[in-house]
Amino acid sequence: MIIKLKKVSFKNLIKAEYQKIMFLKFSKTFLGILMLTSLAMGLIFSITTNVTQGKSIAEMAPNDIISASMLGIDVAAIMLIIFTAISISNEFSTKLIHVSLAVTPNRKRFYFSKFLTYCLLAGVISLLVTFATFFAGQLVLVANGIPMASLKDNSLVQLIIGSAVMPVFYCLLTVAATFIFRSSEGGIIFSLVIMFIPALIKMFSKDIQRLILPILPQSSLHSLSGIVSENSYELLGNGASIFLLLLWIGITSAIGIFQLVRKDV
Amino acid sequence: MIEIKNLSKNYQDKIAVDNLSFDIMPGVVTGFLGPNGAGKSTTMKMILNLARPSNGEVRIDGKHYIDLEQPVSKIGALIDADAVNPKLTAEQHLQLIAAASEISSTRVDEMLQKAGLEKVRNKQIREYSLGMKQRLGIAAALLGKPETVILDEPFNGLDVDGIKWLRNLTKDLARAGKAVLISSHLMSEIQTIAERVIVLAQGKLIADMTIEEMSKKSFSSYLRVRSENNIKLQGLLRNKGAFIQQMEQNCLIVRNLEMEEVGTAAKESSLAIFELTKVQPSLEQLFTELTDGKVDYVSQQNMNTKKG
Repeated sequence: MIIKLKKVSFKNLIKAEYQKIMFLKFSKTFLGILMLTSLAMGLIFSITTNVTQGKSIAEMAPNDIISASMLGIDVAAIMLIIFTAISISNEFSTKLIHVSLAVTPNRKRFYFSKFLTYCLLAGVISLLVTFATFFAGQLVLVANGIPMASLKDNSLVQLIIGSAVMPVFYCLLTVAATFIFRSSEGGIIFSLVIMFIPALIKMFSKDIQRLILPILPQSSLHSLSGIVSENSYELLGNGASIFLLLLWIGITSAIGIFQLVRKDV
Repeated sequence: MIEIKNLSKNYQDKIAVDNLSFDIMPGVVTGFLGPNGAGKSTTMKMILNLARPSNGEVRIDGKHYIDLEQPVSKIGALIDADAVNPKLTAEQHLQLIAAASEISSTRVDEMLQKAGLEKVRNKQIREYSLGMKQRLGIAAALLGKPETVILDEPFNGLDVDGIKWLRNLTKDLARAGKAVLISSHLMSEIQTIAERVIVLAQGKLIADMTIEEMSKKSFSSYLRVRSENNIKLQGLLRNKGAFIQQMEQNCLIVRNLEMEEVGTAAKESSLAIFELTKVQPSLEQLFTELTDGKVDYVSQQNMNTKKG
């Protein structure tokens, strides 16, 4: 009797990758701290507006308080960059990659199983942090006797959705960067540079800003969140923003796959 | 069956594997021998697609490793016992492989028991000795019930019980029709378990034959013969094609003839034989003979011994 073997499903590969993350005490601890820190920082940002923005809570619009609270998502994004880079580079440093690639020799498949796993994980974490910081902001409003922000406000909904995209985007960028550099340092530095380089570009002339700012991911993320002013060089349409983010992920992933396929382990 | 054809691996500063061709046959334990740096581990990595060949190819039942639907059911390999996340437990390590290969968790339990790691299954691998990591690596290699098993230096770190276990395991695997390729520097163990040996030196194939064939071709394999008239016997045996060397203590060293031929020749001439002993070199002696001058890394002591 001939038994026809079938390819292992992506579902199983993702299960294995998820187990690689969650079997480790470090992962559970770090992700727990990530969520608590994001929430805490969001709360701190929202209750210290008199220091950070020169206005008391009472002087600010409810949406601005929510926006301040949701800065906790930025913290989540940075911590997720660190977590992703460490977790993936661990596979190379421990040589577990030998076993992983012996089990899944198709390296593109192996890359995509990791990509999808971290995409799902980042998505869940991002949703949790987004809702936590949103509700924390609402609590701050209630505690100060201010009416809660309404979800009927489209700009608020846009802010929530746009903010939730950020940790996922930077996580996937870090997946690619870690495979490119095969080190946690490379993955972290690359993603943080991409995250913070707009601040540096804004110190240059308007011509340079006009040229470079629109193609950086921050412009897309800020445009999707609706926090970009009309005359800013960062302003992009939703379609252009999504396309640009996908382009960044696509190009870096392609390079990551190329490096993985090309190099011996 | 695994077919290796014209396999080469070049690095910037050296040729690690040079035009290697051999087959790994089912139902046979094949010893994969060579000095340090001979290219054994590199060859094994190329079989598993962990290293890309510079030239040539490896086919497993006609397919490249990357094209296999379920690789772990075709080849199970232990290349490096340290290729584990030390913060995982043995059970977790095997579960990762099982999950990625759609293998049931009962198989994980089975392999932990078979490898003697049942009692330490929930201990972190960083607390394991080398021998325990080797056992875990072997358990991982056998998890998918592979048709071919490749083990790189599996005896390292194993205690007496572990060596005995592995010896029996490899023989059982071959008896079950599996192909077993095993590299080791413990010649005595390879001699016990392997029927066939492939010898590499400086990246090249030096020998691919059974141990018996190797022994027959070896200069260290001969017959010690003492008779009542060595000179007469010497003449008789030379006529039959033997190469004779006279030793001290009235002993003849005879090559190129079997014991039965010497005995028959002596009987035909009514010569009494006082000693007829077959001297078989050990695998270590055969190996040394084959790789003499082809070793990249030699200890100073051994170099002085050779010069002396």
